[in-house]
Amino acid sequence: MIGREACEAVLQCALEIGDSRDGGWDTEAYLVVQNLGLTRFAANMIHQNVSHGNAQLHIRAVEGHRQGRSTTNDLSESGVAKAVQSARHNALLMPEDPHFHGLASPDAPSQVPTFDVATAEFSPASRANAVALACGKAASLGLESSGFCRSGVQETAVMSTNGARAYHASTFAGFLITVMSGNSAGWSKGGSWRVSEVDAGALADEAIAKAVDGQDPRAIEPGEYTVVLDSYAVDDLLNALSRYGMGAQTVQEGRSWMNGILDTQAMSPLVSIWDDGTDMAGWPTPFDAEGVPRRKTHIVQDGMLKTPVHNSYTAGKEGVASTGHQFSSGGGPLAANLFMAAGKDPLEQMIASTRLGLYITRFHYIRLVQNRGCVVTGMTRDGTFLIEEGRVSHPVKDLRFTQSFVDALANVEAVGSERKLCLNEVGFATCVPALKITGFNFTGVTV
Amino acid sequence: MDEFLARALDLAQVEGAGYADIRVVRTSQERYGVRNGVVDTVSFDESFGFGVRVLVDGYWGFASSHDLTHSEVDRVTNLAVQIGRASARLGGDRVNLGPPVASRGTYTTPIDVDPFTVAPEEKLSLLMEADGLMGGVKGVRSRQGNLIFIREEKTFANTEGALTEQTIYEAGGGVQVTAAGHGEVQRRSYPQSPGRQQGCAGWEYVMAMALPSHAERVASEAVALLTADQCPSDKVTTVIIGGAQLALQVHESCGHAVELDRVLGAEAAFAGTSFLTPEKLGGFRYASEHVNITADSIRLPGLGAFGWDDEGVPAQSTPIVRSGEFTGYLMSRETASKLGMTSNGCMRAASWNRIPLVRMTNVSLEPGDWTLDDLIADTDDGIYMEMNRSWSIDDRRYNFQFGTEMGREIKKGNLGRMLRNCTYTGITPEFWNSCDAVCDADHWDIWGVPHCGKGQPGQLGHTGHGAAPARFRNVRVGVLR
Repeated sequence: MIGREACEAVLQCALEIGDSRDGGWDTEAYLVVQNLGLTRFAANMIHQNVSHGNAQLHIRAVEGHRQGRSTTNDLSESGVAKAVQSARHNALLMPEDPHFHGLASPDAPSQVPTFDVATAEFSPASRANAVALACGKAASLGLESSGFCRSGVQETAVMSTNGARAYHASTFAGFLITVMSGNSAGWSKGGSWRVSEVDAGALADEAIAKAVDGQDPRAIEPGEYTVVLDSYAVDDLLNALSRYGMGAQTVQEGRSWMNGILDTQAMSPLVSIWDDGTDMAGWPTPFDAEGVPRRKTHIVQDGMLKTPVHNSYTAGKEGVASTGHQFSSGGGPLAANLFMAAGKDPLEQMIASTRLGLYITRFHYIRLVQNRGCVVTGMTRDGTFLIEEGRVSHPVKDLRFTQSFVDALANVEAVGSERKLCLNEVGFATCVPALKITGFNFTGVTV
Repeated sequence: MDEFLARALDLAQVEGAGYADIRVVRTSQERYGVRNGVVDTVSFDESFGFGVRVLVDGYWGFASSHDLTHSEVDRVTNLAVQIGRASARLGGDRVNLGPPVASRGTYTTPIDVDPFTVAPEEKLSLLMEADGLMGGVKGVRSRQGNLIFIREEKTFANTEGALTEQTIYEAGGGVQVTAAGHGEVQRRSYPQSPGRQQGCAGWEYVMAMALPSHAERVASEAVALLTADQCPSDKVTTVIIGGAQLALQVHESCGHAVELDRVLGAEAAFAGTSFLTPEKLGGFRYASEHVNITADSIRLPGLGAFGWDDEGVPAQSTPIVRSGEFTGYLMSRETASKLGMTSNGCMRAASWNRIPLVRMTNVSLEPGDWTLDDLIADTDDGIYMEMNRSWSIDDRRYNFQFGTEMGREIKKGNLGRMLRNCTYTGITPEFWNSCDAVCDADHWDIWGVPHCGKGQPGQLGHTGHGAAPARFRNVRVGVLR
């Protein structure tokens, strides 16, 4: 961590260098500083243990309808000057882009206090203690555990000649564990901006219970099943929907699953999905890489598809305001602080109300098969169980599914009453309930 | 530089490390992108830093920084040792690296034209020309083209006496078209999907792609796919798989499966494990007798070509599958020693601030002796599939499903109607054992996979895969909702 003053000094340096050169230029500087400590374990011992630190400065130089970019991690004055010069040089190579109307001129973002000193100071020894606790639990039952414990600090700051000025420092902590017996596995993960909210022992217990219950799985025939998805599987589902079409660029290019069904009741009225970068229940990122405050954006409301998320470029094309979702220095907008509305059913009730179905912990390796409908394929993993007559009857071997995720959310029959925060890559989080879905299509089984 | 390296290695030993290495890496990257007639990316990126890896009492620690000052290298080295001590808290087997590695020398990717000396205007002109040709095809919804050039300057030293300096060049490019209509979205790419073909090479590699020459064709094919017939639904048939798609098949179902760290459980919580467990080495029929797969870090322009890996082990070649039998793993010093073997030089880190992991080099299906024309003529009923559109495989690399951009029906030895939304699925050893023909060296290319994810925190590896079209019998195709 280098602190607000140091971040702003680097950004100010970039703007002043830009200003002292030829006139007529606008400059935007976006800085990401991250310190990460990550302890990785396998077979109940630590096998990788690392500390990473880096600071990346992204420069965007703008002249009229042209923009050029550069990136450096040399924050010396000469390094910054080289990056600014490089971005300008690149801009001059561009033909005019009539859809680009210059840098955003955003309002000041709200302050979201997500910096926790205890998390920032969480040491390698503390991480090792958390890992030892979890591994000890697994080892005492003759099980093997693997996963990671991580903690760190991320600072983001933006400044531009168009008035953007934003700084945010946040801590993050996470614990992920897979517990394996000879023929089964269980999984759990937890994350927060406060390490005190990450309970390695409880997460280990959760994964151990599934590994124990999952022993000696039987193969079942693929086909259509009612499924009860744990929050982890819903996290996977929402990540795929975000990646494959919640950003306006994919819609404008006709590649999104939203194309053709915007403003329609394409999903169950039980489903509401929104993005909110300021909600403390998530992992807040109050502004985007352009310094634009992240606006709470209703993507699906009571099953009605409302809007994708925008950056200033895609918003400008449609004459609307940016929702503040430029995730990094390049590429299109991305919904990265996703929430799904909770329902009224506890997980146990969703299982109890199922005559024949599958209880699924998580998905693995989801990839797009067809854009329309967001048809994807993937596997179940780390705890898949058959539900018969309202109770979990026995574990089953993992299955491959080929399923439209839009159809899946149209077939939601019940929504869990509790939500779980799933902090994935730093800056990408979902807060999601469990779901009960009918007619989920399985197309294969693993050996 | 020598003083900087020595400072870290000496301090690590003074602080109690039994082994230490340091990598100092400067990566320069140029990226160009054209999207729908607009230049949307011209970016020059630089990243410079170092990472120190230590073994303290047989347990790993690693720390890194972008600040190359003496005070910072001291802090980072001390932190790495401190982390190594924390790793020891849980105990377990101490790391054995096997025989010492004391490689010394320099290596530079042989290239004809340094891509960093070519004017940006020339690079953009190439993309704009291709874009214009794609945009001229009626029915195209969006189009993009991109070029990438990377120069990685890397110095490695360890406490066993190794000191290597390498400059690795990569060049890549490609075009991609999306067509939408008739309730369909279809994509075509050239030369490789997604996005581009990439190799350890210079500017000449991109020029040889002749992107504009293929732009109009891929655009027309994307549009034609909108109204093409659907791939037959859930049918078992013969498939001939094109080289670019087969390269990814090798990557996913063989390359990852023979990474010895994941075999031994190091990736169990993330990417998964492998069905190719050690007792199968040398005694498992992975594929039919027509299949030979080799891992090497020598063949250019494969993205796995280098002088030494990130443990200082020299580039080499390893048979992975010979006449269908499973014969070799991709190994690091640590993992090889667990099997009583020595490393075959597969440790690679994505950046100065990442530890090296066991990674694919160039994992390639060796050529057979068929021409593609003869192979098609020899096929009575089946489907030719080319260019990847989607890929998914389970955590043991057993159950897979791939989708391709385009298919062509094969009837009585002739290519017939175009097919859209082609998918095929299978179980890895059953699939490879159903291979009865591989095309010859004239049809063989090394394909680049520059986005191979592994590790936590995540690393994107750059791997190469030689492949020629090959035929597989009794494959389940057309799995769609």
